[in-house]
Amino acid sequence: MVEDISTIITSLGLPSTEAFIALVIVVLAIIGLIALISVIRPVLSMYPYTYPNARVRARKGRLFTDKQYTEILESQSIEEVKNYLRGLPEYAKYIDEYPLEKALDTQLAETYDLIARIAPDNIKDPFDFLLKKWDIRNIKSIIIAKEAGLSLEETLNLVVPFGELSDKLNTLVDADSIDEILNNLEGTDYAPILEDAIPTYRETGILLPIEASLDKYLLENLLRTAATPEDDNTAYLHEYVGNLVDITNIKIILRAKADGLKFEDIEPYIISDGYQIREWKLKDLMESEDVSGVVNGLEGTDYAPLLSESLTDYHQTGSIASFEKALDYHVNDTANRISMKNQFGIGPMIGYLNKKEKEIKNLKIIVRGKREKDLSASVLKEMLV
Amino acid sequence: MVEVALGTALAAIGAGIAIGFAGLGSGIGQGIAAAGSVGAVAEDEDMFARGIIFTALPETQAIYGFLIAILLMVFTIMVPGKELSATLGLVAIGAGAAIGFAGLGSGMGQGIAASSSVGSVVEDPDMFARGIIFTALPETQAIYGFLIAILLMVFGGLLGG
Repeated sequence: MVEDISTIITSLGLPSTEAFIALVIVVLAIIGLIALISVIRPVLSMYPYTYPNARVRARKGRLFTDKQYTEILESQSIEEVKNYLRGLPEYAKYIDEYPLEKALDTQLAETYDLIARIAPDNIKDPFDFLLKKWDIRNIKSIIIAKEAGLSLEETLNLVVPFGELSDKLNTLVDADSIDEILNNLEGTDYAPILEDAIPTYRETGILLPIEASLDKYLLENLLRTAATPEDDNTAYLHEYVGNLVDITNIKIILRAKADGLKFEDIEPYIISDGYQIREWKLKDLMESEDVSGVVNGLEGTDYAPLLSESLTDYHQTGSIASFEKALDYHVNDTANRISMKNQFGIGPMIGYLNKKEKEIKNLKIIVRGKREKDLSASVLKEMLV
Repeated sequence: MVEVALGTALAAIGAGIAIGFAGLGSGIGQGIAAAGSVGAVAEDEDMFARGIIFTALPETQAIYGFLIAILLMVFTIMVPGKELSATLGLVAIGAGAAIGFAGLGSGMGQGIAASSSVGSVVEDPDMFARGIIFTALPETQAIYGFLIAILLMVFGGLLGG
């Protein structure tokens, strides 16, 4: 045996057994290093997500449960709803500071702000960009308030103190006209958008062009910031944002077709690209004759089966509400799926943001239902998303 | 220059592998668990004690590696005048590699499980016991590595020889 090994060592041209051992150790070290790097790399990619995911999961554990929804639905008045929310630390700090709906929106904005702050570097840009959602919401609220002639205080109750423009909010609210708002926004991304949309607003007298162009700017650029998937996490983010964009486009086209609008009427409001529905497909959909044509045109995408199921309902009622509900469910399902599949990456963040949006939407339904129509708990429960 | 026998040098490499790789796995695992625990404590101060428990679990792999490294040194390198044969040196490398690599995988796996468990517990405090059980499971690989390292040392003639 020893002689065999010695023969092998000599045939390899090595001078001694020591040299052979050294060579074996070096070879094993190289193989070990390659194995080590291939094992450690995927583990290290999870590393930046552990801190934000723990924070997000802690907050997810504090989301409303079915029992809590039942309890808040049983509230007899808005004051009782407020008292209930005062018992929840996340809402308590805003309930006494702002009117109820502003408090809810502020809590949601704070959640977006937190996610943007703690998100790992490779997904930070899209989450930072998402904060513009609050700028856009505030600009829209201020313009609507000016048009409706609301007082300074009433206008302030509509704006949420988050976003890049949070320092400028008081100046914007103080503005006397849309032109003055535009002047105050000079130097921001929003000024050119408003400059383009305001002439149409002046011609038609409706605010829709202004609102639509701001929404279009947000989603178009959000998709762009998430459009270069580098790994699983960015790919999932792209999928989620892409779904949001596609669904926004589908809803606009369905609404327009239900109202009998033509290509040229819809085109200015459409986000020019999407995830599953690319530019050429969007043109086809906009050129469809009617709602059925749009649903048929979506064949081959994930949205077709959802919408086909709702088509009968649309023919019976003439309302596109069931389409919108099916599409909203699809966004929730997508967020849930990503959340389950990518538990050590971006999944929990996407899942939580989606659930938080849903919670705030439900709380607003409850608040409005109680305040404006004094709806019963059972009726309100039916309305929850 | 001090002359070191080939076998003794190999045993030194074995000791290095034992603590080096086990410590690497333990460190990465503990880092992942600690990052998750800090996130949990930032949201809920009551999570501090439970976070510490989950973060401490991936420490064991480094302890196993440390023990094997100490044993290798005590019975080989630190014995005055003892010149180890190359064969025994290779046994020492085997023992070091057994706990080193087992500890590396076990430590990283346990860290991921611990971090995920911390997330589960902060979301639902009732998950604590189940989280501990799941986090303890990747410990077994380190125990296998530790046992094999001890057996290699005993039957390879390094311990008590």
